[in-house]
Amino acid sequence: MNERADPQKLPRDGSFEIRDWLRLELMPHFMCPGCGHGIALRALLWALDELGIDKDKLAVVSGIGCSGRTAAYIDANTFHVTHGRPLAFATGLKLARPDLTVIVISGDGDSLAIGGNHFLHACRRNLDMTLILLNNEIYGMTGGQVSPTTTADRFTTTTPFGNNEPVFDACEVAKAAGATFVGREATLQTPNLKDLLKHAVAHHGFSMVEVISDCTEIYGRKNDLGNSPEMILAQKSGMRPEAYRNTVDQPFRPNPFRTGVLHRGDRQEYLDAYRARVQAVQAAKGGGK
Amino acid sequence: MTETTVNETASAGASGEKTVAERPTNVLIVGVGGQGVIMVSKVLATLAQAAGNQVKQSEVHGMAKRGGAVFSHVRFGRKVFSPTIPRGEADVLLALEWAEGLRWLPYLNRARGVFIADTQRIVPPFACRNRADGAPLGYSRETPKDILAKVRTGYALNATGIAESLGNRRAANTVLLGVLSTALDFAEKDWLKVIESFVPPKTVEVNRAAFLKGREWAERHADVGLDEDVDFSLPSPPAVEPKRPQVFIERAWCKSCDICVKMCPERCLELDEKNIARMKAPERCTGCRLCEYLCPDFAIRVLRLPAGDSQQEVRP
Ligand SMILES: Cc1ncc(C[n+]2csc(CCOP(=O)(O)OP(=O)(O)O)c2C)c(N)n1
Ligand code: SF4
Ligand code: SF4
Ligand code: SF4
Ligand SMILES: [Mg+2]
Repeated sequence: MNERADPQKLPRDGSFEIRDWLRLELMPHFMCPGCGHGIALRALLWALDELGIDKDKLAVVSGIGCSGRTAAYIDANTFHVTHGRPLAFATGLKLARPDLTVIVISGDGDSLAIGGNHFLHACRRNLDMTLILLNNEIYGMTGGQVSPTTTADRFTTTTPFGNNEPVFDACEVAKAAGATFVGREATLQTPNLKDLLKHAVAHHGFSMVEVISDCTEIYGRKNDLGNSPEMILAQKSGMRPEAYRNTVDQPFRPNPFRTGVLHRGDRQEYLDAYRARVQAVQAAKGGGK
Repeated sequence: MTETTVNETASAGASGEKTVAERPTNVLIVGVGGQGVIMVSKVLATLAQAAGNQVKQSEVHGMAKRGGAVFSHVRFGRKVFSPTIPRGEADVLLALEWAEGLRWLPYLNRARGVFIADTQRIVPPFACRNRADGAPLGYSRETPKDILAKVRTGYALNATGIAESLGNRRAANTVLLGVLSTALDFAEKDWLKVIESFVPPKTVEVNRAAFLKGREWAERHADVGLDEDVDFSLPSPPAVEPKRPQVFIERAWCKSCDICVKMCPERCLELDEKNIARMKAPERCTGCRLCEYLCPDFAIRVLRLPAGDSQQEVRP
């Protein structure tokens, strides 16, 4: 281990120390300078720390992508699974080990494109776990292909003349598909993101938090969105009240987005419903033999 | 007697001082918003109009505490031309918040003007510019005594407190109307009639009581204009143990993204010759942790250590 990074040797003031949650031997992480995924990872670890989650009872599942890679740096039980399938994997994991806190970290490509099917059904089933969808509007890891959330007219390697496709609003899709906790926050507002994630993890049922994140190296460069500080500051200009929709032209993210808890539903949680049925069947058979 | 023109009104100096009858009465009402500046001015305008005056009223309601202004000019008399009161020509300055009263003081006529202010203080964000632990507020330090010494007639009262004791702190503006009523020439019953027609039916009683309380307070304090026993010391900053923020930078983890440098509100950081983040002005750091939150590479750690603690940077 990097001797200088030994957390035991750090001075402390009682505030959140991210080194307690990192696999220090893997640091510094592989993400590009200014990549928003790192900030999102901090917010997640901070939330887990404040919730007092036991690392041994925590399972973090992630798909493929820069977003998926973030799980590898967490000092807990982590699973880096097939592209698009972390929700499917996590569903099996949670059914087998309901005692674990299950978190899924995924990207816009991972969860809304190749894994769109699993996304819908995870929302529909309402199994108690939390999906953190790091939305950077692009396939970052594979060099910048268009994704289901790429803003109109943006340049990517597969849309050299500008994107023509309409976008998915991940939060609307999740809500429509039945998720019982839906929220959105930008990495710029790290403490708010931490609080939102705390609510999401504490929620009993399927929670989906969309994180507005920046792919500085690829999306930022290809679209001339400025350097890392300009990109993260521009998130603010996208946070607009409904009234401005259609009237204000946004420089970087033309779709204004609302942040915070956007939806809470009260459908029965999947395992609760499952256990109730098991009991009912056993009772009908005359005492579960 | 010929009609006065706006110019004459504005430039009425020592030689051409007009009599009360020809000069419009100027009342300037100021506040921070949400307190009823507009309601006060509407009551006054309506009352003056009912008494046969020509009335002009103009208002701005921006966010005073964010640097904008919330004020209303009411001018009434036999003939009124300009809708705005020239600087130094207000006969009454009525402030629903203390510092706003001080801000508009130059508009009050020092020879004949009456100053009426609520002593309640709503401290604006920009009075808290110094974000260091325990830093003093940038709010006006002048006390009602200091101010009343500078005006001919002045009333500084805790109108909000009076309204609160009547069960509705939002009636503070009506308490001030009660004080104002002693400075103008309208009958008590006319004031009450207009006030009652303006306030929501449910609050008629409390507003009536508030008006009478304010009027009675002004009559009782006609000579000094303030409650001597009111404690006007500014709230001291919350007693926190002064912390000395210290910023540790894990050089090996920094990727030179520049986010911390550009986002630090106090501009404490810079990139060094190797493009690695470096603290350049530790004395300006307030320990807000923004750099720590936004560093995508976890390279920054902000510690708020007790002032006596001399933890040294442990990294090269
Ligand atoms: C089955 C399969 N198909 C395609 C790929 C190639 N691939 C790797 S990452 C990725 C896209 C990731 O995009 P996103 O989920 O948005 O994550 P980001 O890198 O933007 O964080 C793709 C298509 C793969 N690894 N596996
Ligand atoms: S490619 Fe984009 S998303 Fe991936 S690490 Fe780099 S900046 Fe982040
Ligand atoms: S804590 Fe960081 S961002 Fe805040 S003032 Fe200090 S150096 Fe600047
Ligand atoms: S934010 Fe972090 S990585 Fe970026 S320049 Fe500052 S210390 Fe370095
Ligand atoms: Mg992506």
